[in-house]
Amino acid sequence: MLQNSEYTIPDISPELMRGPQWLRDLRNKAREDFNQAPLPRRGLHLWRYTDPGKFMYELNDASDTTYGDNYDVVEKIERHHVDEGSLAGLVTDLGGREIKRYGTEALAEKGVIIMPLSEAIEKQHDLVEKYLYQAISSQTGKFEAMNGALWNDGIFVYVPNGQVIEQPLHLLREAGMENSATFPRLLVVVGKNAGLTLVDEYGGGSMDEDKGISFVNGAVEIFGLAESKVRYVSLQRQTSATNSYLTHRAQIEQGASMLTIPLVFGGSLCKQNFGVRLNGAGAHSDIYGLLFGSMRQHFDNHTLHHHAHGSTSSNIDFKVVLKDRAQSAYTGLIRIENGARNCEAYQENRNLLLNPGTKAQTIPELEILNEDVSCSHGATLGSIDQESLFYLQARGIAKNEAVRMIVSGFVTTTLNRVPADLRERIGTFVAQRLEGI
Amino acid sequence: MAGSLERQNKDLSSLNQDYAVKYGFHDPVDYFHKGAKGINHEVVEMISRMKKEPKWMTEKRHEALDIFYSKPTPTWGDTKILSEIDFDNIYYFMKPIEQQQSSWDDVPEYIKKTFDRLGIPEAEKSFLGGVSAQYESEVVYHSMREDLKKLGIIFLDMDSGLREHEELVHQYFGTVIPSTDNKYAALNTAVWSGGSFIYVPPGIEVKVPLQAYFRINAENMGQFERTLIIADKESRVHYIEGCTAPVYSTDSLHSAVVEVRAEESSYIRYTTIQNWSRNIYNLVTKRASVYKNATVEWVDGNLGSRLTMKYPCIQLLGEGARGEILSVAFAGVDQHQDAGAKVIHAAPRTSSRITSKSVSKDNGRASYRGLVKIHKNAEGSKVSVECDALLIGSDARSDTYPTMEIDSEKVRVEHEARVSKVAEEQLFYLTSRGLSEDEARLLIVNGFMEPFTKELPLEYAVELNRLIELEMEGSIG
Repeated sequence: MLQNSEYTIPDISPELMRGPQWLRDLRNKAREDFNQAPLPRRGLHLWRYTDPGKFMYELNDASDTTYGDNYDVVEKIERHHVDEGSLAGLVTDLGGREIKRYGTEALAEKGVIIMPLSEAIEKQHDLVEKYLYQAISSQTGKFEAMNGALWNDGIFVYVPNGQVIEQPLHLLREAGMENSATFPRLLVVVGKNAGLTLVDEYGGGSMDEDKGISFVNGAVEIFGLAESKVRYVSLQRQTSATNSYLTHRAQIEQGASMLTIPLVFGGSLCKQNFGVRLNGAGAHSDIYGLLFGSMRQHFDNHTLHHHAHGSTSSNIDFKVVLKDRAQSAYTGLIRIENGARNCEAYQENRNLLLNPGTKAQTIPELEILNEDVSCSHGATLGSIDQESLFYLQARGIAKNEAVRMIVSGFVTTTLNRVPADLRERIGTFVAQRLEGI
Repeated sequence: MAGSLERQNKDLSSLNQDYAVKYGFHDPVDYFHKGAKGINHEVVEMISRMKKEPKWMTEKRHEALDIFYSKPTPTWGDTKILSEIDFDNIYYFMKPIEQQQSSWDDVPEYIKKTFDRLGIPEAEKSFLGGVSAQYESEVVYHSMREDLKKLGIIFLDMDSGLREHEELVHQYFGTVIPSTDNKYAALNTAVWSGGSFIYVPPGIEVKVPLQAYFRINAENMGQFERTLIIADKESRVHYIEGCTAPVYSTDSLHSAVVEVRAEESSYIRYTTIQNWSRNIYNLVTKRASVYKNATVEWVDGNLGSRLTMKYPCIQLLGEGARGEILSVAFAGVDQHQDAGAKVIHAAPRTSSRITSKSVSKDNGRASYRGLVKIHKNAEGSKVSVECDALLIGSDARSDTYPTMEIDSEKVRVEHEARVSKVAEEQLFYLTSRGLSEDEARLLIVNGFMEPFTKELPLEYAVELNRLIELEMEGSIG
């Protein structure tokens, strides 16, 4: 499989061309839109720091995708969590080829639907037709169109009105080994007054760059209906020979709330785009992100809070820690439409650079189209405070340990904003990643 | 208190007659030379020939025109308004009189009257060290105090600068902003005319400000002044520029290039009060190179024009260099102020501060577009950026597009921005003390702008406050 910035998708394979006519039409439309759209221009903020050509692959390799050992380990751990009752359920997705559910029977009894998208298209046809491609269409962007044309299978989650799922539902989505391309897709609909917590883990990928890297292009659509509460954790733990492009779009209605927690740890090149559109009065969205970069990792994250309706509020806290030669670009846009009065929006991006050779870019953008707003953003970039380091070392703490303590303190202020029940689970992931710092 | 408010109110209503009366008038002029509209290599050749320029400059102009042709229109900023500019419907060179004068008595009466109305001769007498007055393409009046001349200070219009100090101009022209920098800088280099040339010798402090005033009088005019300021070691200078134009129904283009060079331990402050009429596209490139322990300050006020795209830049190239950019923008009806600031840290222990304040009113749009770049070798550098935006009116728009690129680890970069409307509790506080809502709002806006106005020479601060009053007039009801 070769990188090819001129790549166009030939006819979509019959294997993917299944399901009802509308779906086949949309796939074809996505294919056409992908083929016609030029590569994004580097001059625009969204692509200023990452070469779009890196996400273009010639998908002519028909070899079957294989999966690494690590996958089994993670799967075992999470199945254990299901058994002991700290998880509501586990869904594993091997590149859309094999989707398995564990412990979801109890949820099914409550009317919660968790199934492969291919199955949902048959059994929940109207629901899927109503929502699929609505938040991320082939017009969203070239790579969103690529996923729209080529996704194999995905996961569908539906929580009926009034049903609140207390424990997290864990999704484990595995990238293929070397020279593979996967196109995961997720559609989530949370009904009125309903609640859901999702941990969406991206794992796997090529273990050896020389044998070829893995390529992942994912799309996540989440719909939170009136007064719903959605908590979504995106856990990026792919191998260091994986290029991934992931787009997340949520739309929340009147009185609904959405908490998005991007935990950006893995991958060699990882570009992610988290967007929430606030569609009804009283809607509220928080994004709390944590990024740890080391070695030669390259991250490019975008957040979007789109206030399409008045009396909505949003808050972003995105923290970045970099060491070795890691690089992070963060761009965040808050847009408040002319008709959206009485909105509040805040945004904060802090970057901690642990050694020379790291690079950080930040562009926190605001577009405010009416006066009835209260809006602010802040960004800082800097190194570890030498005095704090000296203080700790003077008390007999080894330098490495002292650095880890300071980094841990840096991210704790963000972690403390996460609701307690979820914080514990997230804390484990963070602690695991911190060991490498 | 009540009496003075009444008076202010009266002032306000008399100011209601708008820009047209105060600055928007135009003179019927018999130009010494008025070329045809449009741009091509012949026009460039003609301008250079009329100015009797050395060959290298003529060649530079032609080369720049080709660069202008080859560069696409920017795909960022206000692309809608940018694409409206019709480069073929603009006069590129208009020479109002044959020779520049150094006494107001020798300047033709109608031009003198224009500058009288703008208060230039008065200001010159009271507090300026030198004045340059540009009318269309060329400087018509230029004068500097004798005592300053004796110190070796050079303050000339750029055309005279090229004639009288060719070696200096040749050495530095286009070194801070090359023709290839952007489309509009290329256009300026091709057809530049007028502007200021300043050189301050080592150790000399210019204690009084030097001022240039730029006036566009004709319709469909293109003004392309070119300014080069060099402050030699341990010298100090403050340069002020102002500008206005008549109100026409068709648009004019103002595209300046300003190059500033601050040698070791020198200090330059460059103050701009841009008050073009609302039919002017204002696309300006301003950049300063700052060497060891030197300081450059851009104080930049944008009130007028239809579209301004201007991002004063400071390149900190020597250890310990300092930069400060203080900018305010006021966007009223149909205006877009796309202003901002850039600082580039390319040497150790450099520091910079950006303060940006904007007011968007009615359907006006103010954008802050900024860049903070810290190169690998700039360890120990510090940057702080603060953007404040005030929105007045339900269709006002404010954007913030700050870019921060950090390639060095031992640095401190801070950025903050806030967007809000006039706070209800402030309004309530003032109105409950007997001020009308209009007056209260004006007071709040003036307070918001104060960090900027207090940096201006008193005369300009007063003028600016009056301009803001004018903009604020009738802001409610």
